[in-house]
Amino acid sequence: MALNFGRWTSGGESVTAEEILQQIQGRFGDEIRTAEVRREEACLTIRADRNYEICRFIKEELGYDYLNCLSGVDWPADNEMEVVYAISSLKQPGKIMLRVRLPRDEPVLGSVVPLWGTANWHEREAFDLFGIRFENHPDLRRILLSEDWIGHPLQKDYQDERFVPYPWDDRKPGGVARPTTA
Amino acid sequence: MTTVNLQLEQIKERTAESMEEMWVNMGPQHPSTHGVLRLLLKLDGEVIRECIPYLGYMHRCHEKIGENRAYVQIIPYTDRLDYLASMYNNWAYCLACERLMGIPVPERAEYLRVIIGELQRIASHLIWLGTFGLDLGNFTIFMWCFREREMVLDLFEAVSGQRLNYSFMRIGGLALDVPEGWLADVKAFLEWFKPRLPEYDRLSTDQIIWQKRIQGVGILKPEDAISYACSGPVLRGSGFHWDLRRDDPYSIYDRFDFDIPVGESGDVWDRFWVRRREMEESVKIVEQALKEIPPGPVLSPVAKKLRAPVGDIYSRVETPRGELGFYIVADGSERPYRYKVRAPTFVNLSALPVMLPGYFIADCVAVLGSIDIVLGEVDR
Amino acid sequence: MVSPGALDQFYALFEAWGIPWIVPRLSIMLGVVSIIIGFISVAAMFLIWWERKISAHIQARFGPMRVGGWHGWAQSIADGIKLLLKEDIIPKNADRPIFILAPMVVFASALAAYVVIPFGPGLIVQDLNIGILYIIAISSLAVVGIIMAGWSSNNKYAALGALRSAAQAVSYEVPLVISLLGPILLVGSLSMTKIVEAQQYLWFIVVQPLAFLTYFTCAVAETNRLPFDIPEAESELVAGFHVEYSGMRFAIFFLAEYANMFVVCAIATTVFLGGWQGPFLPGWVWFLIKTFFLLFVMIWLRWTLTRVRVDQLMHVAWKVLLPLAFLNLGVTGLATLFL
Repeated sequence: MALNFGRWTSGGESVTAEEILQQIQGRFGDEIRTAEVRREEACLTIRADRNYEICRFIKEELGYDYLNCLSGVDWPADNEMEVVYAISSLKQPGKIMLRVRLPRDEPVLGSVVPLWGTANWHEREAFDLFGIRFENHPDLRRILLSEDWIGHPLQKDYQDERFVPYPWDDRKPGGVARPTTA
Repeated sequence: MTTVNLQLEQIKERTAESMEEMWVNMGPQHPSTHGVLRLLLKLDGEVIRECIPYLGYMHRCHEKIGENRAYVQIIPYTDRLDYLASMYNNWAYCLACERLMGIPVPERAEYLRVIIGELQRIASHLIWLGTFGLDLGNFTIFMWCFREREMVLDLFEAVSGQRLNYSFMRIGGLALDVPEGWLADVKAFLEWFKPRLPEYDRLSTDQIIWQKRIQGVGILKPEDAISYACSGPVLRGSGFHWDLRRDDPYSIYDRFDFDIPVGESGDVWDRFWVRRREMEESVKIVEQALKEIPPGPVLSPVAKKLRAPVGDIYSRVETPRGELGFYIVADGSERPYRYKVRAPTFVNLSALPVMLPGYFIADCVAVLGSIDIVLGEVDR
Repeated sequence: MVSPGALDQFYALFEAWGIPWIVPRLSIMLGVVSIIIGFISVAAMFLIWWERKISAHIQARFGPMRVGGWHGWAQSIADGIKLLLKEDIIPKNADRPIFILAPMVVFASALAAYVVIPFGPGLIVQDLNIGILYIIAISSLAVVGIIMAGWSSNNKYAALGALRSAAQAVSYEVPLVISLLGPILLVGSLSMTKIVEAQQYLWFIVVQPLAFLTYFTCAVAETNRLPFDIPEAESELVAGFHVEYSGMRFAIFFLAEYANMFVVCAIATTVFLGGWQGPFLPGWVWFLIKTFFLLFVMIWLRWTLTRVRVDQLMHVAWKVLLPLAFLNLGVTGLATLFL
C-alpha cells in the first residue's frame, strides 16, 4: 500500500506559489491584508475572523494538508500578536506561510484542530507561551509549563527574569519581586 | 486549583463511570518512557482505553533563551534539544541561519556535514534499536548496539572533542576540518559496521517472539499520520514515500543515490523495519560521500557579528527522528526576534493517543519506543 | 543419608538421658534446615555471579571483574552484604503484616521443595513416596506469596504484576503437571528415588522428548524468567510485584527466584536426565553437572529472547503446551498398555 508519491509527481500538475495566491485571493479577497511570493512559498497575512475557513480551503481544495508548524510571535510595537501557520503538502512542492494578526489585548483565534490533529499541541503551546486563546479547541490547557504558572514567558514584556512560578513572599529577605504578568 | 488536585478531580470523575477501569500513572520516573514523559493511562484490565500525555518536566524555555542570544550563541543550545542527534540539530539550525542570511557553505564542509550527519543518524538509530530492544525485554541487543554507537562517538570525539553535545557546526560551514586519517577511520568503521546489521537481525528481526510482539500493534493510519503531521520513520512506517533529504533537498543530498524505506501498514513493526533499513541507506550515503569529498576550506568567511536581514524563514531538515524545523523571525539585529523549534518528536508524540487505545499495556511500551522520543526535544 | 536405625539409636540416647522427645527431633530438623539454607545461599550466590558472567559474555563485555580478585567471584557476597545493611523500608500505606510475610512465604515454598530432591544415592532429606506431587503442591504456594506481596504493597504496578503472576502460574501449572505424568506412568511411582533408579539404562528424555520440552518451557514460566517474566517486566511494570521491596526483603525475593530456578532444573534432571546416574564421578557431582547445565540453558534463553505479551503467554500455555502435554500423556499411556 506504499503511497509512492515520487517527487512531486502524483499530484498531477504542480501549482506554483503565484497560482496558490491567486486562488486564495479569488476566494477570500477581502480577508487578505498582504500577499507575497518567496520562491516556492506563498506568504499571506490574513484577518483573524475567517482563518478557519481559509485554512479549510487550503487543506481541502488546494490539497495542502500537512501543517508543519504553528507558532506565535509577539509584536508589542504594533500592539499585535501573530500566529504563523507553515503549511505544505506531501504531494506538491509549494508551501504556504499564513500569518494572522491579532490584537494584543484580546488574542483570540479560531482553532484549526478539526482540520489538523497536530494543531492540538501546537495551539496549546502557543496558548501556554503566548497566551493566545484558541476558540473551539478541545482541550486548551498549558502543555509545557505547569498549570499553576503565572504569565506567558514568550511575550516580549514578560518581566520576571527568575521565572518565579508562585507569588513572591515579601517577608522573605530578597523576595521583593512579584510576577508582573498575571 | 493546583495541578495535582485538578488531575485528581478529573480522575475521580472518570473513574466513577466504570468501576472496572483503573487510571495508572506511567512516568515521569518510569524506565520505559525514555526520560521524563508522563502518561496517564486508563486501563481496563491490561487493555489501554485512553492515554493522556503530560509534558514539560524538562522544559527550559529554549525559545526564550534563543531570543536572548546572538545567532552563533544558539548553536550549543541546539545540542541539548535532541541530545542523541546533536550534530543534526546543529546542522538544522545552521542551515536555517544560512538560508536566512544567504551565506554559502564550502563544498568540503557540505560533504563533511553529510558524512557526519549520516553517521549521527546511524548512531541515533542504534541507540533507538537498543532501547527499543530493552523495552521489549531484550537486553542483549542494547549492549550490542551501544558497542557500535561507541565507535561513532569516538569518531565524533576525534573531530569535535565532545562525545554528546558537539556544537561542531558553524553558520557557514564547520568549526574545524577533520583530523588527518579521520576519513579512513570512517571507512574502517563502515567496514566493521556493515556485517553487524545481520547480527542485530539474529537477535531481533529473526526472532518469532520479536515479530509477534510488534506486528499489528500501534497502527497509525495514513490519514492520521497526515493529520498529526508525523514525520520521519513514523510517517514512512505508515506508507508514505517521503523523505526531506530527497523531497525538499538541502545541502548536497541530491547528489547521492539512496533508497527510502517505506512500511506498509503503519504498525510498530513497520517503524522498526524502516529505521533498521535506514541504517543501511546511511552507510550507502557515507560511502558515496567518502569517494567524492574534495579538499578545500570548511568555513566560508562570515562576519564576526552576524546580523540577519529583516524577514522570517521556516527551514526544515530530516533528522533521524523526522522533520526538524526552525522558524526564525529576524528584525535586523544580532539576535533572532523569534526563534521557534518545530521538534519532530513533539509532533510525533501528539499522535500517541491515537495509536494506543485497544492495545495492551505491554504494547504501550513498544508503541512509545517506536516513536523514538527524546524528551530534551519534546519539552524544550 | 542416614540409616533409620542410627536415627532411632540417636533418639534413644536422648530418651535415656530423660530429655523430652521433641528436643532431638527438633535439633535434627534444625540441622537439616541449616544445611539446606546454606546450600541454597551458596548455590544462589554462585548462580547470580554465574548469570552475570554469562550475560556479560553474551553481551560482549566482562561483567564483575574486581570484587574478590579472580573474575569478581565475591560480587554476589558483596551485593548480599549491601542488601542486608540497607534500610528496611515499608511503605506507609502498605498492609504491614502481609507485606512482611510475603517474602517469607515465597522463600519458604522454595525451601520446602528441597526436601525431596535426590542429590545422590541416599543423599535425600526425605524420600517421600509422593515426592513429585509434594514438590508440585509446594511450589504452587510461591504464587500465594507473590499475590500477598503485590496486594499488600498498595501499588498499582505491584497489583498488576501479582495478577499477571497468578494467571501465569495457574496456567502453566497445568501443562507442567501433565507433562510430568508421562515419566511417572513409565515408572509407576511418585517417589523421586524410584524415578531416578528407573533411568539406569535409558534417560527419560530419550523416550519422552516432548514431555521434557513442555516441562522445561513451563518451568521457565513458573520461575518468571524471560521470555516469560511478565509479572516483573521491568520495562512495563517497573518491577511488578516486588516494586516496593528493598533491602533484605528484596534480597529474599531474589534468593527465592534463584532457589526456584534450581528446584525446577533439579526436577528436570531427576525426571528426564537420569538424576545422579553417570559413570566415573560420584552421583552428586553428576547431579549438579546436569542441573547446572539446565540452569545455563535458562540463563542463555533469558539473555537472547524477547519478552512475550500477556495474551501470547496464555495462548502458548493453553493452546500449544497443554495439547502437547495431553498428546504425550495419551501416547505414553497407550504405549505402556500395549508394549
